[in-house]
Amino acid sequence: MNKTININLGGIYFHIDELAYEKLRRYLDAINASLSNDPYGKDEIITDIEARISELLSEKIKEERQVINEQHIDEIIKVMGQPEDYTFDEDLFNETKTTYKASHSSKKLFRDGDDKILGGVSSGLGHYFGIDVIWIRILWLVLAFGFGFGFLAYLIFWILVPEAKTTAEKLQMKGEAVTLSNIERKIKEEFNELGDRINEAGEKIKRTDFSRAKSGVEEIVDTLGKILATIFMVIGKFIGILIIIIATAVIFGTIAGGFSIGTFEMLGIGSEFASYPPFFFKSTLPVWLLIIFILTAIAVPFIFLFMLGIKIISNSAKSMGRTFKLTLLGLWIVSILGLIYSGIEYSTHTAYNGFHTINQDLPHIISDTLKIKMLGNDQYADTKSLRKNYGFEVIVDNGVEKLYSTKIKIDFEKSDSDLAYVKIRKEAEGNSRKTANEFAEKIEYKFNLVDGKLQLDGYFLSDLENIYQSQEVEITVFLPVNSLIYLDKSTKSYLNNVENTDDIYDDDMVKHYFQMTDDGLKCLDCSEIIKNNSEDNHVNLKIDVNGIDIKVNENGKTSKVKVGEHRINHKKQWVLSI
Amino acid sequence: MNIENTKAQMRKGVLEYCILSVLQHEDAYTTEILSQLKDAKMLVVEGTVYPLLTRLKNDGLLNYRWEESTSGPPRKYYGLTETGKIFLKELDTTWNELHQAVMLITNKKSTKNE
Repeated sequence: MNKTININLGGIYFHIDELAYEKLRRYLDAINASLSNDPYGKDEIITDIEARISELLSEKIKEERQVINEQHIDEIIKVMGQPEDYTFDEDLFNETKTTYKASHSSKKLFRDGDDKILGGVSSGLGHYFGIDVIWIRILWLVLAFGFGFGFLAYLIFWILVPEAKTTAEKLQMKGEAVTLSNIERKIKEEFNELGDRINEAGEKIKRTDFSRAKSGVEEIVDTLGKILATIFMVIGKFIGILIIIIATAVIFGTIAGGFSIGTFEMLGIGSEFASYPPFFFKSTLPVWLLIIFILTAIAVPFIFLFMLGIKIISNSAKSMGRTFKLTLLGLWIVSILGLIYSGIEYSTHTAYNGFHTINQDLPHIISDTLKIKMLGNDQYADTKSLRKNYGFEVIVDNGVEKLYSTKIKIDFEKSDSDLAYVKIRKEAEGNSRKTANEFAEKIEYKFNLVDGKLQLDGYFLSDLENIYQSQEVEITVFLPVNSLIYLDKSTKSYLNNVENTDDIYDDDMVKHYFQMTDDGLKCLDCSEIIKNNSEDNHVNLKIDVNGIDIKVNENGKTSKVKVGEHRINHKKQWVLSI
Repeated sequence: MNIENTKAQMRKGVLEYCILSVLQHEDAYTTEILSQLKDAKMLVVEGTVYPLLTRLKNDGLLNYRWEESTSGPPRKYYGLTETGKIFLKELDTTWNELHQAVMLITNKKSTKNE
């Protein structure tokens, strides 16, 4: 069962069923559209065609009450021809048309809002130069990624170039002459499109049997919703642009960084210019692979972010292929796993402490003064600035690169016997007790006793491959009671909380003579000022390379806090005051 | 190369001339013109003719008048204008020349082939 419609076609009255009517209407619309390039007498042509169709239909209808159905329309179309057939003589006039176009039109640069990814700048430029828009877009990408100013230029275009809004502007953009008929044609095209869309929507509503019209409230809510949606869309696009800019900057930066580090690495000057994270050196993975891992780990999320930004800005932007996405994700996971592996490797490489101790007797006569001196090495570092330092340096020893470190502590203790001796304790960390001990043993440290002078190296060397194993050397000089020592000034930064009877600071101890007593070292020639440091009624605060010293002395109560690298000492002396 | 296309192109080229020729002796309304052209196998579908008729009219080669019909609404009767007649005469000459030229060339070819 079908509804019928009454129509007047070419002055004759017809009953036509709904589907046939739709078909006929579409047919006429299509003809209308195909004739659009020939605006002269178009209406007349359509009228003639309608007249002819009505004539043909009248021949087919035997009885007045017969209804025209789809089959009739199909037959008509067969006789009349497809819409393309109507345009037959266009070819003959194309030549004159193009010259007409070229001579009368002046193109203007507009943004094309109908074909846009961001702002329609590319499509506008495409129209202006008569190039396919894809080339312009590729050019933008090259400019943006290759030189960096593409984005800025695009933004400037976006702001400065107006969007083609009116029909006249759209025609100017595409280079068609702005004649009345052209405008009319364009408007009609757009109007038809709009009408069709509305019709389609209407049909949909009819088919799904919705209520005929929305209530007033619904309409208001609808409108409000649309306004909100627009506002969110604008904000969203802004955020999208921001995301794109940030993501691009990061990706660009990572790529640039990767190239420069990679180049350094290839040229073999990497360690001079780039400071790698510690675990780079302990990793079983090659450095270049780690660099790639780090770059991938950073760049991949930003690539996704970039795509997100693009998507926010343009709904029509094609999303990345599934394979591409999965590949990126896979690469990222591999990178992260690689980095985790290296990280674990690094964290375990210092899991165990190891040490290696050497005891060496000092043939020392109690009455002689033992001079303690630190020795530097001109070959490795400037002796003048020989001092304790927590870093590592890479030096060349007989053509072999080695680690140079001055992390050495010196302390003095009372010997239980009549003999003086030196205990050298080399410490290192490793991923097992055994390796830690091995690392410790491999530390090269020397000292000697010459002419009553104990000459200790102010540095130690270790293999370059054993970097970041927290190597250090602790020297303890055990002295029998009553023996004398003199601390050379070179020992200044190496002294580590040396116990002495007057609580003299390490820094103040150098260049003085000390005698070992049962209570520790006792200064023989120290001025009262140094000694009295601890008796003043004030807070004494000192911060230097050795740490922080705080001394508080109030009413005979002394509190002394020393914060060194590895320990915090706290001494209190209480004097009863009545 | 599509043969149908070529055929259509050839027909298109002379369609204008044929329409004018149909109207040479007496005025005719659209359906009559169409049926004559169809009988002569000049036309496959009717649609082609309408834009052409309108253009010829706009170019001043044809004019038309409305005539009452016994079986329906008034009909559009097309006829040649003076310009149209001159135009047609020139086309006649051109066609004859063209026809001879084509005959000459195709005959030559066929004799050669034999």
